[in-house]
Amino acid sequence: MGIEIKCFATLAQFLPPNGDDYPIDQGETIKSLLAKLGIPEKEVALFFINSARAYLESDIKNGDRIGLFPAVGGG
Amino acid sequence: MTTPLIEAIRNQAVHIVLPKGDEGETISLDAIATIAREHAIPGYIVEAEALRNDVYPTRYLRNMDGITKNDQIRLLESSIAQVGLGGLGGSLLEIFIRTGIGRIRTADDDDFEETNLNRQALSTLGNIDCPKSEAALERGSLVNSSMKIEAWNQYLKQPNFQDFLTGCDVVVDALGGLETRLAVQQAAAKANIPLVTGALAGWTGYVGVVMPGQSGPADIMGHDNAVEEILGCPAAAVTFIASVMATETIKILTGNHSTLAGNMFVIDLKSLTFDTVSI
Repeated sequence: MGIEIKCFATLAQFLPPNGDDYPIDQGETIKSLLAKLGIPEKEVALFFINSARAYLESDIKNGDRIGLFPAVGGG
Repeated sequence: MTTPLIEAIRNQAVHIVLPKGDEGETISLDAIATIAREHAIPGYIVEAEALRNDVYPTRYLRNMDGITKNDQIRLLESSIAQVGLGGLGGSLLEIFIRTGIGRIRTADDDDFEETNLNRQALSTLGNIDCPKSEAALERGSLVNSSMKIEAWNQYLKQPNFQDFLTGCDVVVDALGGLETRLAVQQAAAKANIPLVTGALAGWTGYVGVVMPGQSGPADIMGHDNAVEEILGCPAAAVTFIASVMATETIKILTGNHSTLAGNMFVIDLKSLTFDTVSI
């Protein structure tokens, strides 16, 4: 079992085909995951892991649900 | 004690079978307007007094039990400050004036343009190049003349936030773009007033409730250009986000718990998934 990744809005283009069961390496963090997915860090405003706000250095473990959300301000 | 106002309300009350099958008293739009005029008071005060005496204004009859009698009285006696009369702002205003919030102060210095027609509920073929603030006043008078709407045709900046927020129970951030949202959040915190905020891009958006002193979406999203400039703002997404924002505003005004306090409700309508994220 890997992790589930959810890429919102413009970040959807970076979602890998196996985003619902994505394998991770030991010591994986949000920062290393972004690098693997090719997502520039500055394009993500909000990271969340299992419904809690996370940060670049936050650790990721198998079974986690990761959300990557860009800056959104329209009305 | 029976006051002249209560007497006037009772004289105009009509006995009917209510939607749930029991019997009760109602009072019509015309009767409310007449009593308000004769007593030189706003209609929302007449409506609140009628409810206190178990006389239901017909215009709010279908709010029960979703919005109870006591909730409705609280809403009528509430005051909100809404920043922005564009996409979110137009839909929010429509909900608030129909719901029966007594006083709404709004601000927007823009005029309508053709590109607003895809989503902005207050924009029409007839008011392109006209101020959004005027359309807000007009909509209020067309739908609910009992309430009091103030529409400031100005771009809010410090130090006039303080005047704008004075006397309000909830601040509603219905701005477009990220530039001013943090300033609104900070002004609400300084005035010790809860803030309801929301934004979207394409089919993705969020709603947040920020209690004074808490961090909120504006702390996370920054001030720069955001992805709505690529994805746009479709009407169906705008009205969905506005609806969630309005619901949270009503919960706060009626003293009900907002489950979004300290959280962001993250919405993706394309995949129809929703996440409540603690921030």
